[in-house]
Amino acid sequence: MATNVLRFHLDQRAVRGSILVAVVGLLLIPVIVDSDDFPLSTYPMYATARSNDVAFATAWGRGVNGERLELGLGVIGSSDDPLIVAGELRASIRAGAAEDRCQEIARRASSEPSIIWIEVTTERHDVVAHARGEASLIERTVHASCAVSGVSA
Amino acid sequence: MSLPGTLFLRPPPTAPPERLAAFRIILGAFVVSYLVVRMPVFLELGTREPSRFDPAGAFQWIDRPFRGTANTALLVMTLATGVAFTLGWRFRVTGPVFAVVLLLLTSHRSSWGQLLHFENLMVLHVITIAGFRAADAWSLDVRRRNNRVVAPAPDVRYGFPLQLASVVVVVTYVIAGVAKLRYGGLEWLTGDSLRNHIAYSATRVELLGGRSSPLAASLVSNARILRPIAAVTVLIELAAPLALIGRRFRNVWVASAWFMHLGVLAFMFIGFPSPLLLVAFAPMFDLEHVGERVEAYVRGTFVRLDPS
Repeated sequence: MATNVLRFHLDQRAVRGSILVAVVGLLLIPVIVDSDDFPLSTYPMYATARSNDVAFATAWGRGVNGERLELGLGVIGSSDDPLIVAGELRASIRAGAAEDRCQEIARRASSEPSIIWIEVTTERHDVVAHARGEASLIERTVHASCAVSGVSA
Repeated sequence: MSLPGTLFLRPPPTAPPERLAAFRIILGAFVVSYLVVRMPVFLELGTREPSRFDPAGAFQWIDRPFRGTANTALLVMTLATGVAFTLGWRFRVTGPVFAVVLLLLTSHRSSWGQLLHFENLMVLHVITIAGFRAADAWSLDVRRRNNRVVAPAPDVRYGFPLQLASVVVVVTYVIAGVAKLRYGGLEWLTGDSLRNHIAYSATRVELLGGRSSPLAASLVSNARILRPIAAVTVLIELAAPLALIGRRFRNVWVASAWFMHLGVLAFMFIGFPSPLLLVAFAPMFDLEHVGERVEAYVRGTFVRLDPS
């Protein structure tokens, strides 16, 4: 039986040491090759030296008078986790799929009658100013815009 | 004793079977609860356009997404084997199967452009203990054998997997600390990076229509206190191996790491469930005493309910 073999081996210090070294080695592979993956990782989250000038992928609704309307995590990304929503939206923009994402968001926003238009954007903000409640927008790029399903704009 | 001495030269790390079983139950219950809470997110993956698929983890070998029924079946199978893992039912089969399907499920979730690093440790822990005898106590397997077998004595079979799981925790924290020095450099320790990360986190969630921590603004406005906090954060991560040396070091390190995660939750609204609920640190402790108290309470409750 495998477990009996395992037990026999585990009594030996060299075997335990080898397993430990192998496991530690596996965990260190992403660090050595500098490549983040799952579940072996370099744990790069919040590890960079970040400036206060940051670009964000986001999406907004537009009302009938062109006013900007908040969409919410569930509409932008179909998730309540900002990490997931932001990461996936950023990945879509990078992959040149902003138009598809716009249509997807528009479908989810169709239950909100005040929203007639969706914009997928990258916005640069001074995050410190934003966190303090001050004006923070530096630059805004619209990657895609689309009408909300069922609404003629 | 030095760290290598602790890991390699000491007498075998023996433990009673109840200690490993308690970790199995805590870990299994945590993972199953996590999957139930996150079920809508996992189910939604099956409806996504394959063009958005960016394979990560185990899905780099599969290279295409699970859609519809396949995705749902994977989730159901993970939940079912997770319950079996937790209860210790046919563990020699369900343990390894749970590890494989959990790896597949979480790899699938990570294959859409965003890795969720707080899932790493729970998956690594399940993989670590799934191949060992974690159901030799407090399990349905033991009940099925009708207690004909005498309870096993403390053994390296039960101690070593816990030592291995503890090493996994320690190494992941050290890697996180090294990452800050590697990618952020001294600027991360001495500059305004931590302030900017907190401000970034708050801005990101607000731009997506969510709510940020009300504490973030006050902390960002008092940036001077954040520089020592940044240095302490990296120190805690790099000092993780101390947790393997002895109980006092372990207690201090676990408390420090827990408060660090609590701070991240309070100021950035980013929760790492496994360490915050102490599941990540569980293999470092004599869990059988907790289990014995629970067992005594449950037995006492049944005696009160059935006086005969």
